[in-house]
Amino acid sequence: MLAVLETRTIFGGETEAARVIFYLLALATLLLFFWGIYRRIRVYRVGRRPAGWRWLRRATKYDIPDVTARPGVSKSAAVIAANRSITKVKKPVGLAHLLVFWGFIGLFLATSILSLDYDILGNASRIVTGHTYSFFRGPFYLGYNAVFDLAGLLAIIGSVMLALRRWFSREPQLDYTRAEIPEGGYSRSKIVLGDQVFMVGLLLILVTGLLIQGLRIDGEGFPSFERWTWLGWLIGKMFASFGVGAASARSAHAWLWWVHVGSALAFIAYLPFSKALHILSAPTNLVVSDPANIRRLPAPPEGAAGYATFADFTPKELLAFDSCTKCGRCHYVCPARTAGAPLSPRDFILDLRQWSDRNNQIPLFLDSEDRPTPSGPLAGNGPLAGTVIKERTLWSCTTCMACVEICPVGVEHVPTIVQLRRSLVDRGEMDPTLQSALQNISTQGNSFGKSARMRARWTKGLDIPIPDARKEPVEYLWFLGDFASFDERLVEISRTLAKVLNSAGVSFGILYEDERNAGNDVRRVGEEGLFEMLVESNMRAFEKADFTRIVTTDPHSLNTLRNEYPAFGLDKEVLHYSELLAGLVYRGKVELKPLGRRVTYHDPCYLGRYNRVFDAPRAVIGASGCELLEMPRNRTNSFCCGAGGGRIWMDDSFLEERPSVNRIREAASLGVEYFVVACPKDYAMFSDAVKTAGLEESMKVVDIVELFSEALIGADLVEA
Amino acid sequence: MKIVVAMRQLADLVEELEVNADGTDIDRDFVKFVSNEWDEAALEEALCHKDDGDAEITVVALDEPDVDQTLYTALAKGADRAVKLTGHDPEGWIRTGDRAAILASWLERDDFDLVLTGVQAADDLDGQLAGVLAERLGVRHAAVVVGFHDADSAVQVEQELGGGTVAVSSLELPAVLGIQAARQTPRYASITRIRQAQQTQTIQEVEISAGGSLGGTVRKISPPKKRGGAEMLEGSASEVAERIAELIRSKGLARS
Repeated sequence: MLAVLETRTIFGGETEAARVIFYLLALATLLLFFWGIYRRIRVYRVGRRPAGWRWLRRATKYDIPDVTARPGVSKSAAVIAANRSITKVKKPVGLAHLLVFWGFIGLFLATSILSLDYDILGNASRIVTGHTYSFFRGPFYLGYNAVFDLAGLLAIIGSVMLALRRWFSREPQLDYTRAEIPEGGYSRSKIVLGDQVFMVGLLLILVTGLLIQGLRIDGEGFPSFERWTWLGWLIGKMFASFGVGAASARSAHAWLWWVHVGSALAFIAYLPFSKALHILSAPTNLVVSDPANIRRLPAPPEGAAGYATFADFTPKELLAFDSCTKCGRCHYVCPARTAGAPLSPRDFILDLRQWSDRNNQIPLFLDSEDRPTPSGPLAGNGPLAGTVIKERTLWSCTTCMACVEICPVGVEHVPTIVQLRRSLVDRGEMDPTLQSALQNISTQGNSFGKSARMRARWTKGLDIPIPDARKEPVEYLWFLGDFASFDERLVEISRTLAKVLNSAGVSFGILYEDERNAGNDVRRVGEEGLFEMLVESNMRAFEKADFTRIVTTDPHSLNTLRNEYPAFGLDKEVLHYSELLAGLVYRGKVELKPLGRRVTYHDPCYLGRYNRVFDAPRAVIGASGCELLEMPRNRTNSFCCGAGGGRIWMDDSFLEERPSVNRIREAASLGVEYFVVACPKDYAMFSDAVKTAGLEESMKVVDIVELFSEALIGADLVEA
Repeated sequence: MKIVVAMRQLADLVEELEVNADGTDIDRDFVKFVSNEWDEAALEEALCHKDDGDAEITVVALDEPDVDQTLYTALAKGADRAVKLTGHDPEGWIRTGDRAAILASWLERDDFDLVLTGVQAADDLDGQLAGVLAERLGVRHAAVVVGFHDADSAVQVEQELGGGTVAVSSLELPAVLGIQAARQTPRYASITRIRQAQQTQTIQEVEISAGGSLGGTVRKISPPKKRGGAEMLEGSASEVAERIAELIRSKGLARS
């Protein structure tokens, strides 16, 4: 035992009545907090649970342990602990959040330890032994103060950084303007106010906490052991230097303590009804989010075509609504929003949240949108897909996954959008051009409305035979997809790939007229029945053929064959042709002549973000002796061409600037002559975009296999 | 109102049609069959009437390749009953006269107010089906119909005339209408709905002993003769522009 007892009284100078009031307030706070949390959890419990409680964490590992493999719980925890999902872009913002995150965890621990000592151990020991025990003294007390003062300082630094950004930054993601402007207008001023209340509230709690610490030490006449409470000591000294004596410090402490305690209690009570809820919901959502969900879309609810009612949502989706912090990253990266379409992934989630809260009578003081005339999520009735979320909003999505990739709290927007699209398809509400594409696919198996028998017509005029995988065993079954088979501009590239594979001695074959549209985009449009029909046709065709693995030209086909077909019985490895070409280079099967060009490369969404194939196409470009200049938005942050998710079958004339044109301008700023693609749809989209942007003279769109082929046999580039 | 929609299957025109060995028909072995687009419009117009009020829709078709798909799709879209008429060669070419005879002998037994069918089809470009059918049934007929309204025991019919003029006339029921267009593009039936219809609804099959044929026999059909293709204009932009202007003037497409 030390000579001086290093401790402090817990309630410094407050009257007995004040203590009673504090405990009553604390009780009321906790009741309000847990009632609020209970209300929210009750909402999640309503959700549709596809497999009991298994949705919490998928237990079984999937056959192909690649892009759909789920991180272990410890890895998820590490991501949360390091705030990695926040720091992956905008490092300073992520760092500021990390400081607040750990600072507040520290302060929460500090309060919990104090409560454990004073309220639990103290009371329990007094009742049992008649003597009040406490460990809040001596070296523990000194270390406690030293450590948790640091936590307080970190939290303050982080909060000030974030507050300054919120107040002064003009970043577009902090702008709450909607992408879809409702008739009759709207106001999001309460959402803005909610942000300010949250932020200023945190600062108030932190600053008053430190000030009362300083006042207490000043009021106690600076006992020397309180030097361990270094921050409080400094603040106390500051007060003293301003001439605040011990007595006035004690009286200031008495009322400032109430400000601190009052704001802390109010914050806790307010938490379930505000943006602060993400403190609990976001980490939970990160743990239950599943990378397989977007790559292997969940089936529609049992007995329903798509989402129509509140009960169709899974607890995971409902939790995701409550996790959104409106950080706006998805809003910023979304190609639909960038192009001027009425879709913002942020608004989509916020609208669904507001609709859900209204449905469940959860009071929202702030953090909600107002509309003079009730519409959208505020409309009393009307279908979920169509009224709550507008049809044209749902149809704007290219399913490019940029929103899911960038979301720091693990929201999976795209699967929910598809579930809502499914009910539109069920009601037959869609673009006429989309309808005819679906009808073509349903009758002839391709979106071009050409006869299924014409699928292999591109092989005519080739002086090499293309083996029929249904008639002879091959190593690679080449699955072309609709564009590479039917589009006039692309069949030439298909022929080039055939020649390259032939001259490299690769054993390959095709399915001829038995190949059908793989169904990736059909599924993402929301036409689940047609998708299943296509899978059945293709699986029958695969059964007729003898092959070891599949190679696709189209990244969209790659995604569904690799990630979705296994559920229907496909057990073959699926590669993209860029992987096959890179393999030829690595295994020394080919010798390439350096081309010495300056090029840039566009990562296709379904190859890059979805299936994490970033390096193979770059290896092909490098092996062709081209200098690769990366666009600012590359790899996981690649910018969609605008064709995915069935958008290629819909009208895009209403867009202010097509995403493909936006992308071509980005490439043009690098001063490269060649825009290299590895996706047939990209070739079609960007060939058009080059013309729209008036860059035909200075930029050529080329496929990686054209580069490869030219480096291999000195063939001329096909004009884009 | 009881509406019967008569639908036909036709070779999908996206296929490369070939003439068979005898030269009397197209080669039907490897072509895909789809429903006639004007019949789809007739069905859509019937469905719109059902949406507006009380109409009971029966779709009827002769047994032809992939006809079940068409009938189930109609059921999925909201038709109440589907009937398939058998008793003829389903693989062969059913001439319009025979088709009318088969339909008429079934319709004579069935109760209907209105029969709708497409105004024409790829193998009935002169649009005879509706007229011949009405004659066989001894009821009234109107062709190139773009809309109709219920009016007690009669129906008000809108017909398209030349130059976009629309004539409105009144027909006593029952009647047969050849539909040119529906008020909206035919609706989409999702595959899931079609599959549901296949599982929950049945197509009623009725055997009809073929009526006497009206038409002659086909002696020869032949693919269209290839004529000169497109002319590519070459030269500088101003030369090409001048040539285009000259062509437009010479065809009388522009004044002055």
